[in-house]
Amino acid sequence: MPTDRSPESPLPESPLPGPPPPAGAPSSAEPPLPAGSVPPPPDGAPRRRAFLRGALSAGVTGVVAGAAGGYAYRATRPAPASQGVMENAEAGLLPPVPFHGRYQAGILPQPQRQTAVISFNATADGRGELADLFQTITARGRFLTAGGTPPPVGIGGPPSDSGVLGPTVVPDGLTVTVGVGSTLFDDRYGLAPRRPAKLTPMLSFPNDNLDPAQCGGDLVIQLSAGNADTVMHALRDIARHTRGGMQASWRIDGFCSPARPSGTVPRNMLGFMDGISNPDTSDAAQMDSLVWIEPGTAGEPPWTAGGSYFVVRLIRMFVEFWDRVDITEQENMIGRRRATGCPLDATSIDATPDYGLDPTGDVIPLTAHMRLANPRTPQTADSRILRRAYNYDRGIDQVGDLDIGLVFTCFQQDVKRQFEAVQKRLIGEPLVDYISPFGGGYFLALPGVVDRTDYLGRALLA
Amino acid sequence: MGPGRFRPGRGLLILAMPGLPFDSSLVGSDVRRAALTAVLALTAGVLAACGGSATPANLVSVSNGGCGVGWHLAGPGWHTFQIYNGAAEGGEVDLIDPANGAVYAEVNGLGPGTTSPMSLDVGSGSYAFRCLFDDYDPMTGPTVVVGGHTRGTPAILPITSNDLLAPASEYHAYVTTGLNTLVTQASALAADVRGGNLGAARSAWLTAHLTYERLGAAYDSFGNFDDEIDGRPDGLAGGVNSARWTGFYRLEYGLWHGQSVHQLTSVADALAADVRALRTSWPSTEINLLDIGLRTHEILENALEFQLTGHDDYGSGSTLATTEANVQGTLELLTVLHPLLSGRYAGLPAVYTWLDRLQSLLNQNKGPNGQWLAVSGLSLSSRQQIDATCSQALEELAPIAAITEPRIT
Repeated sequence: MPTDRSPESPLPESPLPGPPPPAGAPSSAEPPLPAGSVPPPPDGAPRRRAFLRGALSAGVTGVVAGAAGGYAYRATRPAPASQGVMENAEAGLLPPVPFHGRYQAGILPQPQRQTAVISFNATADGRGELADLFQTITARGRFLTAGGTPPPVGIGGPPSDSGVLGPTVVPDGLTVTVGVGSTLFDDRYGLAPRRPAKLTPMLSFPNDNLDPAQCGGDLVIQLSAGNADTVMHALRDIARHTRGGMQASWRIDGFCSPARPSGTVPRNMLGFMDGISNPDTSDAAQMDSLVWIEPGTAGEPPWTAGGSYFVVRLIRMFVEFWDRVDITEQENMIGRRRATGCPLDATSIDATPDYGLDPTGDVIPLTAHMRLANPRTPQTADSRILRRAYNYDRGIDQVGDLDIGLVFTCFQQDVKRQFEAVQKRLIGEPLVDYISPFGGGYFLALPGVVDRTDYLGRALLA
Repeated sequence: MGPGRFRPGRGLLILAMPGLPFDSSLVGSDVRRAALTAVLALTAGVLAACGGSATPANLVSVSNGGCGVGWHLAGPGWHTFQIYNGAAEGGEVDLIDPANGAVYAEVNGLGPGTTSPMSLDVGSGSYAFRCLFDDYDPMTGPTVVVGGHTRGTPAILPITSNDLLAPASEYHAYVTTGLNTLVTQASALAADVRGGNLGAARSAWLTAHLTYERLGAAYDSFGNFDDEIDGRPDGLAGGVNSARWTGFYRLEYGLWHGQSVHQLTSVADALAADVRALRTSWPSTEINLLDIGLRTHEILENALEFQLTGHDDYGSGSTLATTEANVQGTLELLTVLHPLLSGRYAGLPAVYTWLDRLQSLLNQNKGPNGQWLAVSGLSLSSRQQIDATCSQALEELAPIAAITEPRIT
């Protein structure tokens, strides 16, 4: 049983506080913290594939290029992640991720080594300038993800590029993922009638400590790549080309560690593997039911087809406190072994915990994060989320403790049916004493840019 | 106000060339002008490009015996030449349109024995290298013609030091007028303080300070006077309590922090005296020709860094007013440069669009009685609108410094 250190915590072990899930509303998914689990495919079926659909630029020696183009940690699990990927990431040589497609290219890939999430408010004057803004972001994203030589300017001005990546911009697996927040649909641009059905300001949950200055935003851009300089270069480039159209409000940088030991799953700052289980991104049907808004998705305006709800949560972790907690208590709060990532009732990292055999939580406590987040009942299958977590490091706080934690992001078809349902189940979990969500927002990741004539938000602004 | 900034200018070469066979009447005045302008430091020659031992296919060799002999262009498109200086002296190499001397691209400060890339998007037109070596006459190499109707990096007619004399003179006169006004206003301000009319003094302070900020002082335009008249306590031991802190901001701090008439009288008197001394010295102060273009964005760079952040709010909450005064100073520079820019900078209309928009926003964000508000009192959306607009104006202004850098023709 977990020991609840928090005297005021309403729930030491079992029944959930907060509203119960509405009847008939299945709820379960990847939780916004350490270990989530989803049912694995049947025995013998390929497990989560690192290579995504449409992937695999065939057999390039030494270059493991997923469609993700990113850092395919688990490319060959159970064999260790490809050394080639590691080396190419180190060298900044990850191949380009194709920019064009029905969906934005940065949504499905595994977390890359480096990311930045930046929230902006639109300052464009009217709908026409707003369209210009989205066209400009699109054009920069198209160039930056493909790489190339910035145009020479002669004596007509300062250099057209910051030079941070040298004279030729390398793609380095860069993805540019753009979302819009509910505030964009106010009266400024006449978009109120087009607001996505489930797009609201982010809820403040009982265990949150939200700083309004680090919440929300009209737009969000996530930049991910193999290296921090690539991410920073992209941010400077996009900001430079859009100064009058939007203004940054908050920003956080994140990193994803190599899997340790090799072949497992990257860890968060609590020392636990993060995102062990996720929907299978190579399974189009699963993505269509869990991640993408498709034509006919209930209540959604047609322009959102090909988009996905994008939740960002900035979560401080009190790691000094955590490090003073014994291992049994740590593992009981998560529900997995810290060293191996295995569920407490299993000897395989990919095993499905069998809660039916453990109805009173003798092995995996009823309040374990993993168990609350995903009770693994049949009714919860449609509330899973595509979880993408990064670690952040912002220095130190006022008492000298490390200001580090998690940039939790997830994608889903319906933020209420999925993220919110999971988060509500987690209210009052023992882990809340060691974490503090302080920022983030709900966004709708826009439909993809299908070709050179298309641009992000075209259907929204048409 | 902030660190100075150096860009290696053409002035070095003018100074280093005693005999000039071309257009010597113009260059002669350039030489005199440059000689009076100490900022064009003699260090450009050491800013040489890296040497390279490889011999790239696109190598263009220049020396005092020839300027890019035997080079060719296969056609339009992006090219990067590797310019090798085989001479014993440092020099500059331009790629020009030989018909009118317009410059497509340039390499400054190319040291002897070194190689530097020169990139451009070649379009249809005529191209020739021109070499400017220390101690040698300028040379123009053979012309290469690219046919067709492809647009490339545009060639821009270089602006000479001579071209900048009239704008400099007009700007000098603008500052003269402003300083005359400022002397009167600073005296009135000092009288208010001395007389104990601190309410009137606060109003007079704003009037006088905006007059000063409208002059477009940035990066030591006024030398030490700027530190005395408009310096910050940053870097002074004791900060706002430092006895060495003088000028408008010092007085602002006192007027808005309840300091006594006795304390402030000496501050206000010193300010009035410094302003008078600046006016006295101004007629013999040269305007650095390189600075005129640089200031077109540097004034508002400072406004973004110190005013729109609220850094320079020492109590009056008037940094938005200061920003507007800085916009007016910038517009004056654009006015004097307009004849030079209108044919050279396609982005000039956008400059005015964004500066106008910035001025409008600043004036829309006043309090209910028309008073200026501190930036900390603005809504997030108002502040972001202003910051975004100032930033876009700066992006539009930035090319002007490159275009108006004084060059040899």
